[in-house]
Amino acid sequence: MTQRPALFVAIILAAAVVLAALPLVLPPFYVRVGQLMIYSAGLAVAWTILGGFAGYASFGNAAFIGVGAFAAGLVEERFAGLPTPLLLPLGLVVGGLACAILSAAVAYPILRLRGTFFAIAMLGVCHVCAELNNNLDVLQGSLGLNFPSITPAGWDPATFFYELYLVAGVIVFLIAWQIQRSRFGAGLLSIREDEDTARMLGVPTERYKRIAFVVSAVLTGLLGVIYAHSLGYITTDSVYRDDTNLNLIVYSLLGGLGTLFGPVIGAFMLVFITQVVLARLLDFHLFATGLLLVVLVLAAPGGVLGFVKSWRLKRRYAAKVPAE
Amino acid sequence: MSAPILRVEALSKRFRGLLAIADVSFAVEPGSITSVIGPNGAGKSTLFNLVTGYLPPTAGTVSFKERTITGLATNRIAELGVSRAFQIARPFRDLSVAENVRIGALFGKAGARDVAATTREALALAGIAHLADEPASVLTVGQLRHLEVARAIATRADLLLADEPCAGLNPTETAAMIDVLRRIRTSGVTVVLVEHDMPSVMEVSDRVLVLDAGRLIADGAPAEVSKNPQVIAAYLGTPD
Repeated sequence: MTQRPALFVAIILAAAVVLAALPLVLPPFYVRVGQLMIYSAGLAVAWTILGGFAGYASFGNAAFIGVGAFAAGLVEERFAGLPTPLLLPLGLVVGGLACAILSAAVAYPILRLRGTFFAIAMLGVCHVCAELNNNLDVLQGSLGLNFPSITPAGWDPATFFYELYLVAGVIVFLIAWQIQRSRFGAGLLSIREDEDTARMLGVPTERYKRIAFVVSAVLTGLLGVIYAHSLGYITTDSVYRDDTNLNLIVYSLLGGLGTLFGPVIGAFMLVFITQVVLARLLDFHLFATGLLLVVLVLAAPGGVLGFVKSWRLKRRYAAKVPAE
Repeated sequence: MSAPILRVEALSKRFRGLLAIADVSFAVEPGSITSVIGPNGAGKSTLFNLVTGYLPPTAGTVSFKERTITGLATNRIAELGVSRAFQIARPFRDLSVAENVRIGALFGKAGARDVAATTREALALAGIAHLADEPASVLTVGQLRHLEVARAIATRADLLLADEPCAGLNPTETAAMIDVLRRIRTSGVTVVLVEHDMPSVMEVSDRVLVLDAGRLIADGAPAEVSKNPQVIAAYLGTPD
């Protein structure tokens, strides 16, 4: 697929068209599940640009959902008189910019940390942002923030946001794909594999990590702006969520860490399992989810795609060994 | 006589109380194979770390092609044309052999490049073209050493610092590695080699530098250095 980019893009767009048509046949409940699946997949792919490609697993990307959402909401509130179709673009620009500024500001010190230290430091960044959001009156985190309705007349809001998430998700996916197949992507990959060796080969590791961090943050923030609009009203607790921080890692672990499709597969699987399969088990829903995750990670430590890759490798080597 | 490709002047490195490199000066001629030998702890790998910018020197300067590179970031030094093969092979284990080498070809020395052609050439030069599609994680120690060298030369470096490429190899593998180093030199790359295997050093080197406790105690042709009493004493010790 790397050799035939036009074909790859055509397949992705065809899949997107099929997904876009699903609300026509799906019951409303499943349209909302689809919304969550695509939103989660988009966030997971944005996360993987730094966490998967470069190996810097962030445990605090919800910070950018919150910063993007609140920055957009505050500005949209101030410009409430603008025509409705302009509000979302305005929010996206402001939310994306706020995330770019925050991520660029923290990138230098935080990316000096590696592994668990980086993950925990990002959790700290998320909590600091949440606390500031809650305690600075101007940010209205504890009071909450209303978002104007942007659903066009005649549209069902659930369907409208489903389609909006789909467009955003496809854009995020194609950006991540383009990064992965570029020289920049190869540099990130070498950083994940061995940062010191990468530097020795001439990879500008510090610059690449910072760019990946900012891109990941901005894309996460843009999805956060759409999420806030889909909720209609947000408080600090509804966007700075630790379960989101955790899920973003779990999606990649389930689908295949470091791959492009892995986070999408993981997000679709986990959202479907938790929202549909286990939703009826109200009393032990979380226990069942946890147990399932443990089993899945034990059975396939490299995620679904890692499992497929190792199976193919085993087959290849089995074919090479002459029969006795 | 052409200008040295690498010039090290009064280089020192102190780790708290330990003087790992003490006032070392030498120059390397382009197109040569220069070996750096010495007992364990003599400072050979530290010298490489200083040249590649992995460690900052306490004093002294390093110049590459008459340009001072002291204080430059490691990746900037690689962009100028200095590459290194590590003592302990550090492959990108999740990638194939060709993908490993391709990363060297994508980065490294600045300038226009044909990545696919450079990758193929480096694999062939290192003698591992037949392993191109294999995952790096399944290679033997000997093959990993060849991969390490292939990846380093794929950067189109003018100077290769090879840190004990023959360590842990059997005689056949050692001979193959020496052959690779010779081919690399023939291709126009200057080689500085750290090595413990004395027959290999004597066979392949144009010149030998001997370090002992961070000091340069001998510098000359292999035959000359092997008879140097100071070198013999450093390796074998002196009678009480």
